Amino acid sequence: MEAGETGTRTYLGVPLYRPRVAFFEFSSCEGCQLQILNNESTLLDFLSLVDVVNFREAMTGGSDDYEIAFVEGSITRDDEVKRLKKIRKKAKTLVALGSCACFGGVNQLKNRFKDINKAKKEVYGRHPIDSEPVRTLEDIVKVDLKIYGCPVKKEEVEKIALHIAIGKSIVFPKYPVCMECKRNENICLFELGEPCLGPVTRAGCDSWCPNSRAGCWGCRGPADEPNMEQMKKIMEEYGFSEETIMDRLECFGGFSSLMGKGNTK
Amino acid sequence: MNPELKFTDVAAELYAPQKRKDDLKGFEYTYRAEITSIYPLTEMETLYRIQVVDPEERRRFAFTPGQFLMLEMPGIGEAPFSISSSPSIHGEVELCIRKVGNLTNFLPRVKRGTHVGIRGPFGTGFPMQNMHGQNVLLIAGGLGLVPLRSPIAYVMENRSHFRDVNIIYGTKNPSQLLFTYQYEIWRKDDIDIEIIVEKADKSWKGPSGLITDPLEDILSGRDSEYYHNTYAIVCGPPVMFKFVCNMLNEFHIPMQKMFVSLERRMHCGMGKCCRCNVGSTYTCLTGPVFDYWTVMNLKEAI
Amino acid sequence: MIFRTFEKQELKKLFEILAAHNRIIGPVETGRDRDGRPVYAFADVTDYDDVELKYSITKLPAKRFFLPFKEDLSTFRIENDTWQKEISYNVDRPLIFFGLHPCDINALNKLDKVLLHSVYPMPYYAAKRENMFIVGMDCIPQPYCFCRSMGSDTALHGFDMFITDLGSRYFVEILSNTAFNFLKNIKTSEPGEDDHVLYMKVVAKRNNEFTRHVDTTDLTKILDMEFQSEVWKEWGDKCLSCGTCSSVCPTCYCYGVDETVDIDLKGARKTKMLHSCNLIDFAEVAGGHNFRPGRENRLKYRYYHKHRGFVEAFEESLCVGCGRCGESCLADITVPEVIDSIRGSGRNK
Ligand SMILES: Cc1cc2nc3c(=O)[nH]c(=O)nc-3n(C[C@H](O)[C@H](O)[C@H](O)COP(=O)(O)OP(=O)(O)OC[C@H]3O[C@@H](n4cnc5c(N)ncnc54)[C@H](O)[C@@H]3O)c2cc1C
Ligand code: SF4
Ligand code: SF4
Ligand code: SF4
Ligand code: SF4
Ligand code: SF4
Ligand code: FES
Repeated sequence: MEAGETGTRTYLGVPLYRPRVAFFEFSSCEGCQLQILNNESTLLDFLSLVDVVNFREAMTGGSDDYEIAFVEGSITRDDEVKRLKKIRKKAKTLVALGSCACFGGVNQLKNRFKDINKAKKEVYGRHPIDSEPVRTLEDIVKVDLKIYGCPVKKEEVEKIALHIAIGKSIVFPKYPVCMECKRNENICLFELGEPCLGPVTRAGCDSWCPNSRAGCWGCRGPADEPNMEQMKKIMEEYGFSEETIMDRLECFGGFSSLMGKGNTK
Repeated sequence: MNPELKFTDVAAELYAPQKRKDDLKGFEYTYRAEITSIYPLTEMETLYRIQVVDPEERRRFAFTPGQFLMLEMPGIGEAPFSISSSPSIHGEVELCIRKVGNLTNFLPRVKRGTHVGIRGPFGTGFPMQNMHGQNVLLIAGGLGLVPLRSPIAYVMENRSHFRDVNIIYGTKNPSQLLFTYQYEIWRKDDIDIEIIVEKADKSWKGPSGLITDPLEDILSGRDSEYYHNTYAIVCGPPVMFKFVCNMLNEFHIPMQKMFVSLERRMHCGMGKCCRCNVGSTYTCLTGPVFDYWTVMNLKEAI
Repeated sequence: MIFRTFEKQELKKLFEILAAHNRIIGPVETGRDRDGRPVYAFADVTDYDDVELKYSITKLPAKRFFLPFKEDLSTFRIENDTWQKEISYNVDRPLIFFGLHPCDINALNKLDKVLLHSVYPMPYYAAKRENMFIVGMDCIPQPYCFCRSMGSDTALHGFDMFITDLGSRYFVEILSNTAFNFLKNIKTSEPGEDDHVLYMKVVAKRNNEFTRHVDTTDLTKILDMEFQSEVWKEWGDKCLSCGTCSSVCPTCYCYGVDETVDIDLKGARKTKMLHSCNLIDFAEVAGGHNFRPGRENRLKYRYYHKHRGFVEAFEESLCVGCGRCGESCLADITVPEVIDSIRGSGRNK
């Protein structure tokens, strides 16, 4: 079936939209793209909903004719800026795939070092390459949709493809991870003496980390109107240092806009 | 003694005598209904006519003006909508739906003949029979005309039971006016109708201003005999019905004779999901139609 | 009511006989907290030695067995652009609950009022509730329990049998015929006058062990009077809007519904998920308007539902005083403290 063409496929009589999609990656681990490929039982269904014209992980060659661009990774170099702008021009819809693309991800941690050269040295040893402060896609181009997570959840990407096909809106939970964590009957990590950003982080990962007794690092960024001030107080009360808190909040970059701010509402 | 517990099937016939089996089954039961007509009214609103498929069920599906139903499109969503048609027609309803979210954006894309599920009718209605022999003010702002069409239909069909009937309807601008093709028909039934828009454009020939302007005109020309024998049904956004009801109150129309319809998030319509609570009152059970005295006493209402 | 006593080792025998033929849910230890205290949960048990009959309280109530956090209300088969709806109440076998404390039994009784004995009874709950066999067990009051203030420290009904530890042997109240028959499998005896005396002693001792109290006199009115109180704002500032309090509460039952299409487009489902009125989107409608935009609005509503609305409808509050919400709340928001502060805010004016 050709892209865009809906053929005979309908849902309750409403024709499906089958967009041409392309995947691109910048500075990232490509883990998000791998997520999408890793469940073979639903991969065919996924591929029947979208027409993938470019996917480096899965195919060689690839076409330049696409409607939706899924872009993974953050932007660190000049040539990347140019490439991203080119993609933006071609794509009707640009989707930031994963926390690197949305917030800078782990990459943006190097922005913490005041001296970028020092960061370069620490990361690349004696062979510094051209590397500027890490920027998110949104710092450079307009982003139409953000899919959070490091890595993204495969189910979520599949759901988005499905929603594009049938024309449902794409919504993420507004509440924090704790809600899912309780649904999964985990013992709260604070009770086990571990820090966790679950109370301020957007749910949707099905409390991935607490399920394996690891505290949340906030990879999906803040929930709607998170109570940052109280979160910090709790961390202090449970005996975690300012540094531990900052390490977590800064890890993926999702909280950078809330840093220093207390109550958001 | 046999230490194995036996499974009780609450859906089974045997269970029925003690435990109201039908009630249990009714909870998630949807009437299969067909969308028989789809008529775009404005850019945002579409009118759907929906008919219960099974003839026996169609006969049974009756409602009172002011009630709502839950409309379900499998996999897309389920949401409450006011019934916007005559209560004397059973098993067939008109719904006027504004595009705002998942379900409401999907519906305009379906074809005539599509099947949907409906549950209900739910909630309280306007006490039309109590209004017999009285004057009636039907006041709507914006989408509020949708729930008002059902009492309007009732009044038209029983015109001789009512004294003076006034419809006052206002929107922000002329392009938002709904059911423009019906105004003349209403007028022919000796119903006085005032249409007003907040912001007139070039094409608009009628009056512009707030909905309370024509209301004040109507009320100030009347005497206490009128005020004592008048009911009001007010539908629209909270700010609007607050101003309207305050004005009605100034003219000494009793608050128990003013009725408003509240809107809240709903997921069940049956007093279970708690999403529709105002203070601690269930909008889906005790409402959506409330008299204004009750609304004044609800915490969180306005 | 019929009473019996039996020797302690007989309980193990009863458990094993029941376990051989039925699925049993009981309190087990699932870990230790940072202070080394055991953490308990209700779980499937097959071995009597895993059952922690002297458990303090479970972190989560047994709610998931009769009000699952997530449950399909219906599924749809999608074919040729039309649909068939299929409804299942998602239960196919009875469950034995072994060792529920009075608070958790009373929680079920409260849920019954709204989910079974009001208009539109809920079949998903009814189906599971009808297939429960409950063995109640007396408890040791914990510092956070205020069930006595809520009138939930003893269970008068809602169980099949209720066991009280008399020290040397067990005392059992039998409410159902099924329980009576089950007990024929072990050696029991009619309690004598000395058992009665001992029972009353044990109960009196327990009554003295409650340390947490809350004054609920006129609470419905006070909540109305203090609707605008500044105190709500203070609690709202602390609240994380995380929903934990509702998740761990044995009586919270409200929910949201979500419809989804299967990725192969051949099916769809309507899923109910327990929600919490503290979550930001609880009262939000399409288009973005939120009827309770602030944290304090939502927290206040939680108290409104539990201590006012439910009381108006059913003459009792929707709180058994188990203290779970306060224990699990990272912001340390506890029911007794909130209620005290609301009462206090009136006094200070
Ligand atoms: C008693 C009553 C009568 C109504 N009558 C009409 C009408 O005649 N015409 C009309 O266009 N709209 C009406 N509404 C509003 C209508 O219910 C919402 O527009 C609709 O729920 C949006 O659903 P959605 O799936 O498109 O939006 P989404 O944002 O996808 O909503 C998801 C779900 O949230 C709930 N929800 C969201 N917004 C509302 C809301 N405003 N009210 C109740 N539940 C909501 C519903 O359960 C809905 O399925 C009425 C609401 C109520 C309470
Ligand atoms: S472990 Fe983290 S996510 Fe889970 S309840 Fe505790 S704070 Fe919330
Ligand atoms: S628990 Fe936190 S860090 Fe882990 S996947 Fe979820 S949002 Fe990311
Ligand atoms: S009261 Fe506590 S547990 Fe409940 S939502 Fe607020 S912070 Fe979370
Ligand atoms: S509100 Fe708190 S104390 Fe009351 S029943 Fe629920 S969890 Fe227990
Ligand atoms: S108190 Fe809140 S969370 Fe609990 S049942 Fe009521 S509405 Fe739901
Ligand atoms: S809509 Fe569910 S309780 Fe009213």
